Amino acid sequence: MDELTLVQAFEFFGFAICATLIAGLVCPLVGTFLLVRRTGFYGVALPQFAATGVAFGFAILPWWQTHVGLGVDVESATAGDHVGLNYHLFWASVFTFGSLGVLLLGRGKGTETARVAAGFAIASGLTILFAHASPVGDIYVHELLRGEILAIGLHEFETLAVVLVLVLGALVIAHRDLVLVSYDRESAIVLGKPVVAWEMLLQLITGATIATGVMTVGPVLLFGLLVLPPLAARSLARSMTGFLVCSGILGVGSAGIGLCASFAYDLPLGPAVVLGGAILVLLVKPVCWLRG
Amino acid sequence: MPLPTALIDCQAASFGYGGKRILADLDLQVSAGDVIGIVGGNGMGKTTLFRGLLGLIKPMDGTVERSGASIGYVPQREELDSVYPLTVREIVLMGASGSVRGGRACWRAPSKQDEARALECLQFVDLANEHGALFASLSGGQRQRCLLARALMPNPDLLMLDEPTAGVDRAASAEILERISRLHKERGIAVLMVAHQLDFVRELAKEVIVVNEGGIERGPVGTMLSDPFIQQLFGSGSRVESSGPSREGDSPWTN
Repeated sequence: MDELTLVQAFEFFGFAICATLIAGLVCPLVGTFLLVRRTGFYGVALPQFAATGVAFGFAILPWWQTHVGLGVDVESATAGDHVGLNYHLFWASVFTFGSLGVLLLGRGKGTETARVAAGFAIASGLTILFAHASPVGDIYVHELLRGEILAIGLHEFETLAVVLVLVLGALVIAHRDLVLVSYDRESAIVLGKPVVAWEMLLQLITGATIATGVMTVGPVLLFGLLVLPPLAARSLARSMTGFLVCSGILGVGSAGIGLCASFAYDLPLGPAVVLGGAILVLLVKPVCWLRG
Repeated sequence: MPLPTALIDCQAASFGYGGKRILADLDLQVSAGDVIGIVGGNGMGKTTLFRGLLGLIKPMDGTVERSGASIGYVPQREELDSVYPLTVREIVLMGASGSVRGGRACWRAPSKQDEARALECLQFVDLANEHGALFASLSGGQRQRCLLARALMPNPDLLMLDEPTAGVDRAASAEILERISRLHKERGIAVLMVAHQLDFVRELAKEVIVVNEGGIERGPVGTMLSDPFIQQLFGSGSRVESSGPSREGDSPWTN
């Protein structure tokens, strides 16, 4: 890898670089809302639920091919074209939104952390079982779910870019109302805000980011970008707007560190980006101590 | 003198949670010019009544009508999560959200008018110098004044406060009450507040609503707070007896 010039690297891995940077910008913004709503652990659990959905899609592929069709077969499901990608995205979305709905309905009852942990454990087990039952073999499914972002193709990049740009737009447009509804729901109601609609938008943004992210950049990179940059930014932030901006900047910074480390030391890109985020979290601490 | 206009009109309303009625068959009007304190023992339904009047819970029976008047709401500050790094300015500007219904789109930055109004509200509560400070870094009394400034942003006809002096020391409580009193006197804003500290209710309110055993009783502040039941409810050490005016007519708003 170290013989590659920057231009050559971009030529070969242009989609991967752009996807990493877009994910680096947008995922931390979603993670910021997870953090302040004290649902940061959703950032770890929801990608696992999405992965279970993808594995489930593979497990029922023979049945789907026979009874539903719609152009989906083993070949298209493994080819990385739009038909296969949409099929995986469909199941990732079903499992993400389904589990998100179940978790939100149960909020305030019992121990939420334990419920999410139990869900995570069950989803992890089911992912392995579904992958084992897959007609393409569990190695292929696990490789796909590990998310080798360097192998990202045009269709995956297009899907990721469209979804994340829409998410970014929604957050830019609605962030003030989303903050108000998250921070002080009762005051939002008194002020006449459509609280339920804003909350549904927030869940839609979260679910769409996670379902698409798992299918394209993979759960590891997604975990890291949802959790680490907001965690670092929270220590630096002196306003809510600053918190959001700082999360995005640190997310792009994590992606940049990861890309450089990956190309320089021939490391897998996803874990390198997570490491970049971890470095930023560690670097921020002394800055905060110095600032008092 | 114009007849008082009902800002909130509650007719035969019942409130409760999960199918269980906590307050039943309430008839209550809050009119322009009213200054009302809601008192009662723990678990008697003060908060349920307050939330019902605010529109946060729907009546199980009867109706609660709001005249379309603008309401400024001051929640209990303990309920607000300090993990949000919100500045005083950001908190106060949240109150502008309601004034742009059907008007300015939500994605636009706060207008110059909103910024100017926020500064005016912060000056009123003496927090203009703290506009860039983190809300979580303020003292209890300052936070309460900040929330009061936010409630003033939509230029309210009625101010509804949920225990505005809870957990605040006496000097800070007095400052908060002085502001509320000025708002009523200078701008004619009606006030409805849930309160635990009866001496403050006595100082501020013209009328008191006592919530007890599924119902309410409303009357002039002097009469209600002299009631043996209230004395018993809040204990002999209650500040009811300790200081302040003790008869109806001593309230600063009663001519």
